Amino acid sequence: MNDLQALLDQVLERAETGEGLEVFGLDETETTVSAREAAVESLTSARTRGVGMRVVNDGRVGYASTADLSETALGETLEQARTNARVTSPDEANVLAEPAEPEPLPGLYEPDAETVAAEFKVDLALELEAAAASAAPPIRGVDVARYGDALTTAAIASTTGVRAAYRRSDAYVLVEVLAERDDATMSAYGLAMARRPHALDVRAAADEAVQRATRIVGGSKPDSAKMVVIFDPFVTASFLGVLASALTAEAVQRGRSLFAEKVGERLGPEHLTLIDDGRHPDGPASAPWDGEGVPTGRTRLLDAGVLRGFLHNTYTANRGDTTSTGNASRAGYKGPPGLSPTNLYLEPGSRSQSELLREVGTAFYCQQVMGLHSGANPVTGDFSVGAAGAMVRDGAFAEPVREVTVAGTIPTILEGITAVGADLRFLPFGGGMGGLTLVVEGMTLAGA
Amino acid sequence: MERAEVSDAHVLDDDVVREVLTAALAGGASFAEIYAETRRGRGVGLDDGRVEDLVSGLDQGAGIRLTLGKQTAYVSTNVLTRAALVEAAELAAAGLRGSERAQVADLSTRQPERTHPAAQDPFAADGVALAELVRRAEDAARSHDPSVRQVTVRYADIDQALFLANSEGHRHTEQRVRTRLVVQVVAARDGEIQTGYQGPGGAVGHELFDDHPPEKVGAEAARKAVLMLDAEPAPAGELTVVLGPGSGGVLFHEACGHGMEADFVAKDSTVYAGRRGERIGSQLVSGVDDATDPGGWGSYSFDDEGAPAQRTVLFEEGVCTDYLTDRLRAIELDLPRSGNGRRESYAHLPIPRMSNTYILPGDEDPQAILDDMGSGLYCEELGGGQVEPASGDFVFGVAVGWLVEAGELVRPVRGANLVGDGPTVLARVDAVGSDFDVRQGVCGKEGQGVPAGLGNPTLRIDRITVGGTGS
Repeated sequence: MNDLQALLDQVLERAETGEGLEVFGLDETETTVSAREAAVESLTSARTRGVGMRVVNDGRVGYASTADLSETALGETLEQARTNARVTSPDEANVLAEPAEPEPLPGLYEPDAETVAAEFKVDLALELEAAAASAAPPIRGVDVARYGDALTTAAIASTTGVRAAYRRSDAYVLVEVLAERDDATMSAYGLAMARRPHALDVRAAADEAVQRATRIVGGSKPDSAKMVVIFDPFVTASFLGVLASALTAEAVQRGRSLFAEKVGERLGPEHLTLIDDGRHPDGPASAPWDGEGVPTGRTRLLDAGVLRGFLHNTYTANRGDTTSTGNASRAGYKGPPGLSPTNLYLEPGSRSQSELLREVGTAFYCQQVMGLHSGANPVTGDFSVGAAGAMVRDGAFAEPVREVTVAGTIPTILEGITAVGADLRFLPFGGGMGGLTLVVEGMTLAGA
Repeated sequence: MERAEVSDAHVLDDDVVREVLTAALAGGASFAEIYAETRRGRGVGLDDGRVEDLVSGLDQGAGIRLTLGKQTAYVSTNVLTRAALVEAAELAAAGLRGSERAQVADLSTRQPERTHPAAQDPFAADGVALAELVRRAEDAARSHDPSVRQVTVRYADIDQALFLANSEGHRHTEQRVRTRLVVQVVAARDGEIQTGYQGPGGAVGHELFDDHPPEKVGAEAARKAVLMLDAEPAPAGELTVVLGPGSGGVLFHEACGHGMEADFVAKDSTVYAGRRGERIGSQLVSGVDDATDPGGWGSYSFDDEGAPAQRTVLFEEGVCTDYLTDRLRAIELDLPRSGNGRRESYAHLPIPRMSNTYILPGDEDPQAILDDMGSGLYCEELGGGQVEPASGDFVFGVAVGWLVEAGELVRPVRGANLVGDGPTVLARVDAVGSDFDVRQGVCGKEGQGVPAGLGNPTLRIDRITVGGTGS
């Protein structure tokens, strides 16, 4: 961590008087182990280091990055960033973030994650594969059984006085199984995440995949109808991803959000509270500071159904005459900071999934959606996606359903959410999205 | 530009290669390989009338791969010193314990059969020239119609210098240059908002703009957005659908191409596994994967493990023909290598991937196909799609669609989705036009994105489920 920070300090010393310079460094080691047929299929290890430089001169921004950390390359990269800053358009909202002291985030880095033996990781992958492979029919095979981890060091320094670094450890297992019934095959996956490999529940991930594949295999098309749709926690997480793209100030300022001009208005029922929390202890996107070194925080976007505001980074905050919510994002070191949610979730209700199913009686349980990136439009609000799942009859899972389209609009879906489950769990979909069961009324189901 | 112009760091010396491969084989693997690359790339973003970003990047690194039977160990690093490479090789060796005593064969350089040289080096254009280019696209989009509200333009180029050597004595270098321009337009009128998109690209330099001047790209994106302002909700149900030239390539890629990738075949997790020689589709349908298409978005000279690029027939008159293999899957399934082992970068394992996946043109007049269709849906542009390889089930959004009545395009429709499965759609193709066009995509698989070309003639599907919000 100190090496990386020292490197950034060296680059910063080259800044010219009056020049705005921000240097961001990343050093990451990722390991994966895949198992197949009771043997290791692949073991990979990737070490990636790099530095990105953002120059801001008179409101003009230039960015350049390098994986070559030699003094010559660092010098050339800075020169390139300066050259780029001479071409872009000026905008007075382009300023570097001011320094603030971020609170440390205990538990983000588990030091013992660093010393876990490769054999232990291999065993986890093999155990995962064995657990899934031993499942009874209709399960007929394991498509993916993977262990993965990452150790990340991130650091930032700027001419405004920002200087911070953190380390993070992540581990996960992912398993995808195949189920076959009446000559039709479906796949489904299960996963578990933790800060350290020892905390991963391999058995639970395998059971989840088996249960999900068994539930939907052998489905047929239902008749087209309007009916209650129950969003599976994975589907809710994907839906929040769509909402998120309309809840950034960037989308609003550029006229690309259906929620622009709606602050203070009621968008959903009272039991709908949507929170972005960059410091949530269970969140996969947690970090003490964001992509510009601004401390992360907790932002209420929907409060009891009412829209309270949007997510900001320093640029959008300057344009909107407000303060950053700590949502500047970095997709690695190769590009300038963007704007994204961190851990976005709906405040959970009090009822379990099985209680909700019993209460609803008859519904379509939507377990998988397909074509979300084209079928859900955060500008127009149109929402029409392919889905697979199962019918719910008499409050219990009944026959599987496939090749169906579920359609509505984003506003009517929000209005139609009649219950929020208690089963909150973060999933790594575009940051960290909170999965939980949702009951939605008024959607159209198109089948045969 | 015939030969790759690679800097010294990336044509690794024979003695370094030999030392690294020998260290890698010390663990008892049967095969070792080193893949190194340097890539320079630039991205320009114009939004809201302003050139917001100009981003330059230099990335470099190497991946060392070992295999033994079905097992693989892979270690990558972006530190390219001799010591770091040997250390990576030793780490890989420790991850794969075997008892083979493979030796490193004498290295000899392979020459490519085909190259895709850039006629106009994109890097000859400086930042000022690129800013001018994106502005030209923007101006054309804005002046197309007063309802155009937002224009986003993205330009990207990449110059990738590759080096690959393996323990069987293969060595090659390759230079890949790609250029792309993408315009997105938001149009609004009377509270209605629609978007339009146009994004040509290729394994080419700035000669891309001879066929696709920035003005034309901007105007096309604007035309689609403005057109869709008059769209009404799409009907739902089973309909006859015609896919316009180029628009259906993504469907074929997702619903048929992925299922022909040999890793899915090896795991028996695709509907096409075990069906070579079987008639699956209509006799009218022939499809290929062609990495040799000159300047194609997904074209290359060698795949990312040293096999020459080639043209592979996937479906011949509806009969399931050849799978797309990489080295490992070719050995496992006892099939020829089709030159489809691709990786996103030095940090990724090669896996079977499509290059340019095309449905081949037939001999019918495209207009006649439409005239005969009766009523249904015409898809001028599909949006993104997704497929479940196990079942072949897919969903595609229709970005630009038309309601058809008595063979006439009546009015644009929005919010439509095509839902079905690959084999059924292949079987239900009942007309194939003599025209052809391509699109460009970035295909994601196992967390790796690679450029993939898509193409098709006018195609008619006699019935398919359309999901929509209308009646």
